[in-house]
Amino acid sequence: MKRRSIALSVISFLAISLFCSSAVAQQKEKISLMLNWYLYSEHAPFFLGKEKGYFEAEGIDLDIQEGRGSGPTIQAVAAKSVPFGYADVSTMIKVASKGAPVKAVGVALQKSPMSVMGLSEKNIKKPEDIKGKTVAMTPGDSMSQIWPLFLKKTGLKEGDYKVVSGDGQTKLNAVINGQADLLLGYLMDQNIKIQDATKKPVTVIPFADYGINMVVSGIIAHKDMLKDKPDLVKKFMRAATRSFEDATKNPEAAVDAMLKANAKAGQRDSLIVGLKLTTPLYHTSETEKLRPFRVSPKDMKESFEMLLEYGGLEKTAGKVEDYYTNEFLP
Amino acid sequence: MKSILTSQWLRPVLLIIMILIGWDLLIRIFKVPPYLIPTPLSVVGQLWNEWPMLVKESAPTTWATLGGFALSVLIGVPIAMLISYSKLVESFVYPLLVFSQSIPKIAVAPLFVVWFGFGIIPKIIVAFLLGVFPVVVSTVMGFKSVEQDMVDLARSMGSTRMQMFFKINLPQALPAIFAGMKVSITLAVVGAVVGEFVGSNSGIGYVLQKANGNFDLPLMFAALVVLSMIGVILFALLDVIERLMIPWHASQRNDFQSVV
Repeated sequence: MKRRSIALSVISFLAISLFCSSAVAQQKEKISLMLNWYLYSEHAPFFLGKEKGYFEAEGIDLDIQEGRGSGPTIQAVAAKSVPFGYADVSTMIKVASKGAPVKAVGVALQKSPMSVMGLSEKNIKKPEDIKGKTVAMTPGDSMSQIWPLFLKKTGLKEGDYKVVSGDGQTKLNAVINGQADLLLGYLMDQNIKIQDATKKPVTVIPFADYGINMVVSGIIAHKDMLKDKPDLVKKFMRAATRSFEDATKNPEAAVDAMLKANAKAGQRDSLIVGLKLTTPLYHTSETEKLRPFRVSPKDMKESFEMLLEYGGLEKTAGKVEDYYTNEFLP
Repeated sequence: MKSILTSQWLRPVLLIIMILIGWDLLIRIFKVPPYLIPTPLSVVGQLWNEWPMLVKESAPTTWATLGGFALSVLIGVPIAMLISYSKLVESFVYPLLVFSQSIPKIAVAPLFVVWFGFGIIPKIIVAFLLGVFPVVVSTVMGFKSVEQDMVDLARSMGSTRMQMFFKINLPQALPAIFAGMKVSITLAVVGAVVGEFVGSNSGIGYVLQKANGNFDLPLMFAALVVLSMIGVILFALLDVIERLMIPWHASQRNDFQSVV
């Protein structure tokens, strides 16, 4: 505990000194955004916004940090180690229901990319084809939790298929090496990786096609900041909204901006394919006409109820309105 | 009263209770929120509620640990004997062994799942890779520190190589071998869980992964407690075997312990 507080004070001291020096120079505030994972296509819009100066125009010197899972990112925001986080909103709801003082201030991916996918040569095109096959999944992650609902909606039963469990890399390895026929993954992530590795086409069955929709990534912030620095949050979300709008129009530029900042983010072509699959998830039928990040209460409520029933969210979690807000959006 | 306080088993229990109280106090004093560190009471609660599940899931982890440990001893001790008896083998094998020890096992573990599937074998291999090194190092040391005078004496009295090995070398090396095995078995527990993290349908590693996904910190800590208990029990068993096999050694004699 002591070590943590020392580390925190060192960090805040550094942050303050950085802030002072940059404030004197150009009135800019260094603001960190911690991502949910290592860089991949979904993160490219932030780099585009930074390159185009959208954040700078709001007086924000954006510092993008890679993450190691949504959970730790949310914990970092809750502990005020970083002001903003880009993380899975359903995970955030779970952590917040355990007392973490965080809230979603904008939901980027409103349509669920959750899917079950496998190599096209296995001829698994519809849910019935899953019978008798082996599915790779990660125990405890959001997809494996929603999976029972997918089974219910598609008339499948537990026992119709075999399961192998493992971490993210193992899921991929299992499908690539034929130990599993399918995996539970995101339709802009694992399918591209499998395609890259095997040079074979992949067939994706999105959960959303069977009426299962769940909000995914969003921007989260500490409740204290929403109270104490509402203007900063508004500025940040304004810049982020413009970034996401531009990335929708020009995914190539967004990927190039990310690669310029970090050449190791991935292969250009795969990242572009990934981002092109991601941008349609920015809106549901409810929010088609709205700007990015603006989520509809109906979609949020549906996701929340799904979490209550299948996601291990406790009944004491309260109302969905406690977990998100649209009021800082342009 | 005095006898209770000085009993071997009670001391660590007392220390654990003190640590639990300290843990609880720290959380209260610094107001650590439950999403960062759970309270001891909630961990005990989960331990109580999920006990049947935890016991069931600890079986595969224990088997993988024992498998890895058995391999560590069966492969590690002969390698160590070769190393200690032959300078040639030592110069070839030892550096390689040290080199392999520096590879992070978590990095190669996914490959074992690819090669050997989702069964118990990849877990045993990871447990073996973590557990074999201390066995080899200690055994080499044990065989090398056999008193040369004893060997000379035995040879002068015309004993065969076999007799020398079983009467002098092995007994003299045993304390060191046991020291290595004790380190090995605790590492094998870690190895088994690392293997389970990567790909498994059961075991404590699976429980940990699931608890992590649900942000169920109390269950996570409860699983860690069970894991530590597996380590402690296996260690204690090894300790009993050690007492039976080398009752003559200084570390096992009561006169030595009473001084401590």
